[in-house]
Amino acid sequence: MLNILVCVKQIPDIDLVKMDPETGNLVRAGVPTLTNPLDLNALEAAVQVKERYGGKITLITMGPPMAESTLRECLAVGGDEAVLISGRPFGGADTLSTSYSIVMAAAMRGKFDLIFCGKESMDGATGQMASQLAERFDAAQISCCLSVDAVGDGKIRATRALETGREIVEATLPCLITVEKDRFFGRLPNLEAYLAAKKAEITVYTENEIEGLDLQKIGVPGSGTIVPKIYPPELPEPGQIIRTGSARSDVGRLLELLAEKGAL
Amino acid sequence: MQKSDYRNMWVYIEHDGKTAAPVGLELCCELRKLCDRTGDRLYAVILDRLPGAEEEKVKDCGVDGLIRVHGSGYAYFNTDAWANAFTVLSRKYNPSAIFVGGTVNGRDFAPRFAVQLDTGCTSDAMELDWDSETGDIQFIEPAVGGKIMAVITVPALRPQIGTIRPGTFPYAPTGRKAQIEEIEEEISFDPEAIRCRHIDFIPDENDPEMDIANADCIVCVGNGLKDSEHLERYRTLAKLLGGKLGCTRPLYDRGILPYKLQIGQSGVMVKTKLYLSFGVSGAVNHTAGVDADVFVAVDKNPEAQIFNYCDYGIVGDMDEVCDELIAQLQARR
Amino acid sequence: MAAYSKITPEIAEQLRAVVGKRFYVGGEVDPNYSHDEMPIYGKYMPEAAVDAETTEEVSAVMKICAANKIPVTCRGAGTGLVGGCVPLAGGLVLCTRRMNKILEYDMDNLVVRLQPGVLLKDLAADAQSRGLMYPPDPGEKTATVGGNISTNAGGMRAVKYGVTRDYVLALTVVLADGRIIELGKSVCKTSSGYSLLHLMIGSEGTLGIITEMTLKLIPSPICDVSCLVPFRDVESCIRSVPKIKLANLDPQSIEFMDADIVTSSAAFTGNPIFPERVRNEDVGASVLVTFTGYDEDELDQKMIKLGEIAKEADALDVLVVATSSNKKSAWAARSSFLTAIEADTKLIDEMDVVVPVDKIPAFLIYIRALGDELGIRIRNFGHAGDGNLHIYCCSNELEEEEFKRRVKIIMDRAYTKCAELEGQVSGEHSIGHAKMVYLRESVGEDVFELMRQIKAVFDPDGILNPGKVCDSTLAERA
Repeated sequence: MLNILVCVKQIPDIDLVKMDPETGNLVRAGVPTLTNPLDLNALEAAVQVKERYGGKITLITMGPPMAESTLRECLAVGGDEAVLISGRPFGGADTLSTSYSIVMAAAMRGKFDLIFCGKESMDGATGQMASQLAERFDAAQISCCLSVDAVGDGKIRATRALETGREIVEATLPCLITVEKDRFFGRLPNLEAYLAAKKAEITVYTENEIEGLDLQKIGVPGSGTIVPKIYPPELPEPGQIIRTGSARSDVGRLLELLAEKGAL
Repeated sequence: MQKSDYRNMWVYIEHDGKTAAPVGLELCCELRKLCDRTGDRLYAVILDRLPGAEEEKVKDCGVDGLIRVHGSGYAYFNTDAWANAFTVLSRKYNPSAIFVGGTVNGRDFAPRFAVQLDTGCTSDAMELDWDSETGDIQFIEPAVGGKIMAVITVPALRPQIGTIRPGTFPYAPTGRKAQIEEIEEEISFDPEAIRCRHIDFIPDENDPEMDIANADCIVCVGNGLKDSEHLERYRTLAKLLGGKLGCTRPLYDRGILPYKLQIGQSGVMVKTKLYLSFGVSGAVNHTAGVDADVFVAVDKNPEAQIFNYCDYGIVGDMDEVCDELIAQLQARR
Repeated sequence: MAAYSKITPEIAEQLRAVVGKRFYVGGEVDPNYSHDEMPIYGKYMPEAAVDAETTEEVSAVMKICAANKIPVTCRGAGTGLVGGCVPLAGGLVLCTRRMNKILEYDMDNLVVRLQPGVLLKDLAADAQSRGLMYPPDPGEKTATVGGNISTNAGGMRAVKYGVTRDYVLALTVVLADGRIIELGKSVCKTSSGYSLLHLMIGSEGTLGIITEMTLKLIPSPICDVSCLVPFRDVESCIRSVPKIKLANLDPQSIEFMDADIVTSSAAFTGNPIFPERVRNEDVGASVLVTFTGYDEDELDQKMIKLGEIAKEADALDVLVVATSSNKKSAWAARSSFLTAIEADTKLIDEMDVVVPVDKIPAFLIYIRALGDELGIRIRNFGHAGDGNLHIYCCSNELEEEEFKRRVKIIMDRAYTKCAELEGQVSGEHSIGHAKMVYLRESVGEDVFELMRQIKAVFDPDGILNPGKVCDSTLAERA
């Protein structure tokens, strides 16, 4: 039976995040959260593998207590167990320290044969997390996976997307896989699973409960990068806006201007 | 760790055994400028054999040296051998920074050797600056869907590692150095120890409509598009203009158009003569990917940021303006 | 009835004096004004068109047209399905697209005053931003609200909230001769003489031109959830609907979709949110049931009850659409049904019958057999909760003439069947000119004649939207 880990993240709906023009800080308060969509694709890939080859899926995330709702959403569509890493000292982490925290917490739950991750998160969007987790798990990695073609004999065969075509690869287990979004459309939970997930027990690890955790390697102290400054993008001066009163004459004027420029 | 013990900047030259990927050359050109400010030397790192003519191109980008890595394990790209090579090299030479093109494979192995070296890694910077006081590179990139620009640094660790998307910086060689140091390194990785192996490669069928990077004209449709039902008119317009259809990231996310048509930093960087955007809000991530001689923007929101990037703008219903354009262009024939 | 006049250069000048640049004549007229979303019913170009912006402009235009017997066809977004906005007699198209302002909210009385050209989706979003909901929810979100009133559009939420008619409190209408009248008041009850307001609603631009509306809103529901209930076949699927309705769950909508439409939509949108197989069985048809409530517990209770009903009704499963992303995907897929059919079909005709809910399977079985017999592909979906079915006759192989011949046979027989089952010709798409003969058959000569007399009272010269609803003169002349 395969022991499968799926890493998920709760993110703010970035369409609704605004920058406070006074302070220059991001306003996240009151912004609805969602489960990173690409992580749901990863979960679906994991569930398909579980259905085909048998296995147990453990979900793991790091975040504030409300990230539990993301775990419940994932439990409803095929997760068996869920782990939340939560606590102030974990805050402000970059990928270097987050990957450390996740791997240390996952070790509390045993050894994993397959680890599935979304390609990137819609908010941070570094796309680095999966490779760094793979390194820390001492696992092989298959990024941009289009299909899982076979699992068995301590190996996984999969197809990945490159810029100019598809590459077929074979990796030894343990292996970490990031999936392409188009291929693993998440399923709807059925009612029983949905209701059961609401009541399911979720294991919460604080910094005190993870064995061997080096506090210097988590949160801000453990991060390799910092963000000393954010600022609104500088905008160039606006172009010439054509306002003639109707779409028809606007377009007429535009075509004249483009013809003058020799752009047609 | 003393930051001052780490000197010089490296660029990884990705290649397929025949030609060097443009992104490596672009990075050499950009980093030449940065190294001139920091006083670092610039090295191009080449794993396995690259034909001489291609190496000449690298040299033309102003590098101070080449590091050629030979050995086993490099027959096909694999994360294990690649990450190992950079870790071994970095431990030996202590570079201040390593830059890797943000291709699928570059993004696959660079963050991995960053962990091996226990250092900070950034991705997708659009600008590079340098703080002379701290000696840190400033990786400047759009964040939160382009709403803000973030400055990211690696304040205490070395090397500073960055993956940069292809097309972010121009390929503009400024000339060859008189002296180019050539370093040969033997770093072998046991092919038996490679955990993820190449089995086969199936090239994508070549669909010219999917190749938009250098189209003469591009009609780009953004999130203002109501649904796929309304898409056809933009194809018609693109055809009339002898151009191609592209889109912004939300349309790819909505499953309306394929990834290969997504224009912007995380998609295709385009260079074109005439660019018409419809219903595109103008997030930095998108506009950073557009290099157009003439830029036309159509959007219903007069405050849309896209109007800051255009030469000519029309405020109005995108479908209505598109239909008018089609009608009037047809009438001109 | 006198013959219509042409728009002479003099008349054109008069019209131009009213609306300026927004008058178009001949080749300037948008070619889209010749059809709606069903070009199969024929394309007719008007001689001229105006984009009106105010009630006064509409009134001035109507005065000119009445004086000269120019036919006037009012048009919104052109998303109709029965040729309602198509200018059969040429003349003038009066487009309300630019009358697209939401004028005012009265938050104390929960009403909104707006112009007819506001798009349904814009009204919905604007109301939502104020914590309010405009309950009617027709599938075509890019229709104008004015068009919705002209057709008494229904939509998915009709099960719980009723149809457009139930939310119209008052209208400003320009009559055929240019007089401006006010119908209704911004109150919730009225018992004050014949309701001309309700006569105007659903009259498809044949009695007057709506230039301003006052609509009733409700507070937005606090939370909602949808359940997809898949079945092996259409019959068991539909049999569950009355049980769901009887269970006191107060669903907001009960939508029906068969396997074919789900497959087409998934292929078209790349969004396979509605499964084609569940628990290793093929899904034959599903209902999508939406509940609203005060909190999650209330919704959970409703879903548990639905689960019991589904089990008894031999459903394959009950799937929950609860997260914001799944809701988005589900409604995007549901909204794409017609588009998906259009995308892979060359020739298309449709019917919008409404039958008693328990007669849905009988009707669907009948129409499928007809389709098979005549070599016409049948696609259908609809509002199971109220018996309103959207049935599309499709073909990619037939020549247009042959297609029309065969579809006519299907339509004739299907509307007869519909009458047999005690159904109505149109649930929410209206009559236009495409369904007039079936309306006439369905209501009978006495009622049809009454409709014609009413039309004559409002529009003695027959210049408003000629050839529609009950005006059979054009068809008879042809």
